[in-house]
Amino acid sequence: MPSKNAGIGKTTVIRRDRNSKKNILPALGFLSPTLVIFCTFVLFPVFFSFYLSFHKWNMFSSGQEFIGLANYRRLFSDPEFWMVLKNTFIYTIGTVPLNMVISLLTAIILNRQIAGKRFLRTAIFTPVVISPVAAALIWRWIYDPNFGLLNYLMNLVGLPAVNWLNEPKAAMIALIIMGVWKTYGTNMVLFSAGLQGIPDHYYEAAEIDGAGWWSKFWNITMPMLTPTTFFIMIMSMISSFQVFDIVYVLTSGGPLGATKVMVFYIYENAFKFFEMGYASAVAYVFFAILAVLTVFQVKFMQTRAGYEAV
Amino acid sequence: MNIDFRKSGRITKDILLHILIYALALATIAPFIWMLLTSVKDIGDIFVYPPKWLPSKFHFENYRRAFQAAPFGRYYLNSLLVALTVTIGQLITCSMAAYAFARLQFKGREVLFYIFLGTMMIPYQVTMIPSFMVLYWLGWIDSYKAMIVPGLASAFGTFLLRQFFLTIPKELEEAAYIDGCGKFRVLWQIIIPLSKPALATLAIFTFMGTFNDFIWALIVVNSDHLRTVQLGLAIFRDRYITDWDLLMAGSVMATLPILIVFFFAQKYFIKGITLSGIKG
Amino acid sequence: MQFKNSGNNDSAPKCANVIIANLSKNSRYLFLSFCLLFSLISCGKKEKSKGDKITITFWHSFVASTIPALEDLIEQYETENPKVEIKAQYVPTGDALIQKLITAIQSKTAPDISWIHSDFLADLVDADAIYEMDHFIKGENGLSQSELEDIYPALLQYSSLRKKLYCIPMEATNLALIYNIDMVKEAGYQDGRAPSNWEELEKYAEQLSKDFNNDGKFDRIGFFLPIFPAAGPLSGWMVWQWIPYLWQAGGYIIAEDQSKVLYNSEAGVKALTLWKNIYDKLNLRTFTTDYDVSFASKLVAMAMDGPWNLPRFNRMLQNLNWSFAPLPKGPVKQATICGGEYLVIFKQSEHPDEAWSFVKWIIRPDIQARWSMKSGYLPVRRSASELPEFKAYLEENPNFKVFIDQMEFAQVQRSMDYGALQITRHMAEAIEEATLGGGDPKEALDKAAAKSNKVLQSYWKNAK
Repeated sequence: MPSKNAGIGKTTVIRRDRNSKKNILPALGFLSPTLVIFCTFVLFPVFFSFYLSFHKWNMFSSGQEFIGLANYRRLFSDPEFWMVLKNTFIYTIGTVPLNMVISLLTAIILNRQIAGKRFLRTAIFTPVVISPVAAALIWRWIYDPNFGLLNYLMNLVGLPAVNWLNEPKAAMIALIIMGVWKTYGTNMVLFSAGLQGIPDHYYEAAEIDGAGWWSKFWNITMPMLTPTTFFIMIMSMISSFQVFDIVYVLTSGGPLGATKVMVFYIYENAFKFFEMGYASAVAYVFFAILAVLTVFQVKFMQTRAGYEAV
Repeated sequence: MNIDFRKSGRITKDILLHILIYALALATIAPFIWMLLTSVKDIGDIFVYPPKWLPSKFHFENYRRAFQAAPFGRYYLNSLLVALTVTIGQLITCSMAAYAFARLQFKGREVLFYIFLGTMMIPYQVTMIPSFMVLYWLGWIDSYKAMIVPGLASAFGTFLLRQFFLTIPKELEEAAYIDGCGKFRVLWQIIIPLSKPALATLAIFTFMGTFNDFIWALIVVNSDHLRTVQLGLAIFRDRYITDWDLLMAGSVMATLPILIVFFFAQKYFIKGITLSGIKG
Repeated sequence: MQFKNSGNNDSAPKCANVIIANLSKNSRYLFLSFCLLFSLISCGKKEKSKGDKITITFWHSFVASTIPALEDLIEQYETENPKVEIKAQYVPTGDALIQKLITAIQSKTAPDISWIHSDFLADLVDADAIYEMDHFIKGENGLSQSELEDIYPALLQYSSLRKKLYCIPMEATNLALIYNIDMVKEAGYQDGRAPSNWEELEKYAEQLSKDFNNDGKFDRIGFFLPIFPAAGPLSGWMVWQWIPYLWQAGGYIIAEDQSKVLYNSEAGVKALTLWKNIYDKLNLRTFTTDYDVSFASKLVAMAMDGPWNLPRFNRMLQNLNWSFAPLPKGPVKQATICGGEYLVIFKQSEHPDEAWSFVKWIIRPDIQARWSMKSGYLPVRRSASELPEFKAYLEENPNFKVFIDQMEFAQVQRSMDYGALQITRHMAEAIEEATLGGGDPKEALDKAAAKSNKVLQSYWKNAK
């Protein structure tokens, strides 16, 4: 067992000098497993895709044909690219705020004294566990305009049936509902974990000072949840932007392309039309857009909540 | 379950909250209930109108038929093995990397972190073929390594843990450093025990994500003895036809174990009151 | 997480020790189960080639109901050829098959033989990944002229690209009408026969659609019109079912010299108008549920399908009085579309000649007959249907006979050496627009044809 004064590790001297900010060796020690795997299996394919975006490749051949910026020029002049970009934005704007609000509320409610909490949390987490394909197949039945559950229930309460997946606007709403259903359980769990980190005595002190539930929420809960919220917001945005599985099975980009989202367009060009170079170019433009959005979000959160929390 | 006694005004609020949350939970779990009930229906009973929840006759043999359609026993073992290994591996690598990003100061820290984040924004549909090429060059195609090793590092997991580590006050670590603890020991003995909810959360997500993965397992595995449950379930769906009864049975078998684990593992995300050191 | 109020560092290691001790107890169990799992896995049977047997890998997408027939086929071959082992591997069809083939070819782990779809035949050929079948046919163990001619010519035409044969058909399929006899009788047709032409089809579709509870919505659909999103995985299936109507009206998809498309001709407009009329009359809001299950649930009176579902239907539809019938005749002629599964041999194969032997054996008339009777697919050789046991089988299985009889007027699409995928997509978009989108058939077809012709022109320009 190490004594109080001995340190474990290689660079005792440098570690004692905690003012050194260029101290990379210990960091490297901690980062190396992740970095090695990351560089091999993530970073390299990412760069290779970038390389591919300047080529034409049908994936069956062993060689790629260099075509310079042709793919990029093509995508900017393709009206379908702009349409899928718009659809993707609509989907994201539709799901992310809704998702975060519902999951936060649920996490807060389930943090109180409620009977049967474990069952409730499991019930809410169920959509996350069901495979996207099975879930989308079930929802396709639910949304069936003639024989589905949803229109049946709506008829029961006197509402008119909606032509869910066959009407462009309705289809997008249907997709958003299913998207939120599938993912809010994840965020609920994340918010729950975050809520655990808020010490009870903050609330108790506030109550002694006479604060009501809104004040407690706004002045204690929200600020303490900032790192969690930031994480959830970024991840939700990224995953909404990249939605694919449920679109593929539920609407297949229809009707008439109303729910065709960006990744669907990329997938189609790669595996239906065998144009991997073009698909890679689209993916990179998409990435650039997403990166810019994320930077804005980060800056926004940093100015609001302080640099440390983010 | 302890029920606090409150003033009567709050009892109404309590009841309302209960109703609200139960309604939401019920609506959320309804599709899964339908999946459960459908898995024991006769195929002509599934899409009748008006929709019928309960089967007219219980066909429990759907499970037997589904299980026999392919070597699901073996597929289950494979899925479990891969998911468990990746989960444990990620817990280790991500906590180490997250600690570096959250606490250690080094040159290029922010840049590296943003590169990590950035890679999450490239859709996997374009990187999966190049990733496959890497595995091919390593000679790992059609092996367990191919399914496990690429998943051992995760930008998502690193990001998640980093955020949680940021909320731990620095005083604890400072105290430990003063006493001569090394960085690794600080991580292992102080940060990790305090991060149980985050670790448990990551564990569940990673386990589930790996268990439900289809595409990666599809392209790196050929041999039957390596296949996973999700690959096995694909046999119930053809291009135009779906064997609904068997697919639902198979999906229930794939989903239920994880739900059960989640039900019992919840206490790791939700602290017990006894763990808190500050009271009163 | 809860923080400890400690400036006192003694509690830190102490607390940690307690945690580690507790951790050990649980993780001990975890570790044990892990080891057990691992040992179970490692003891698994590994498939390696046995001794001096040659192993041929064969990739297919036969679904669960057809697997027994496939196993029977393989068993028979292995009995007749003890030195060869056929390893059949299931690959989910559609995109999964594409992705697997891509990755296999790139990693030089391609199978010896595989099913393919015509979607990517051109790409496979361009990548020089598969053999030209003439290499084997004109070789020592080849096929005679009469054997070649015995194969339905439509199938061979479909197996060719730019006039060269690249695949061998393993089985054939075509499209027929399935209908509920009781519902037809109920509508007043006492003899329970199916609609025989377009007018009757429209009439039946209307009459068989019922609104039982008068809520303005049909509770039973007379005819399942396969309308799917043009960008989705079923879009090819939708176009495949529309094409026979185009032919029945006397039209063709593309000109013989492939210089332009012809599907927007008058014939095309007639065919699409038929579909649009039925769609509008039935107030069809596209089925998102499957036609086969809907038919089994008595929600659909008529639909179209191929023979591959026969084994499944025989099991699923026991409570119904149903039958298959030929597709209704069009204004110009009777026609149906012919499909099938096609086999290719990869150049990466280490045993191409043995692979070819297997393929050649599969298309032997007696094997075709046996395979056909067990699987529900149609034989690729005419002489197979002459065999006595096959004829007896047809007597007992009138539904199957419907498909065999249709082979006489089953057509395949004209060769589309370039742009086949895009052209199919354009047709799908036109169909979607005219039905779901409520558009005018002629306009929709013209718009699609303009796009297709542009694609063709750019190809021909580059080809020069």
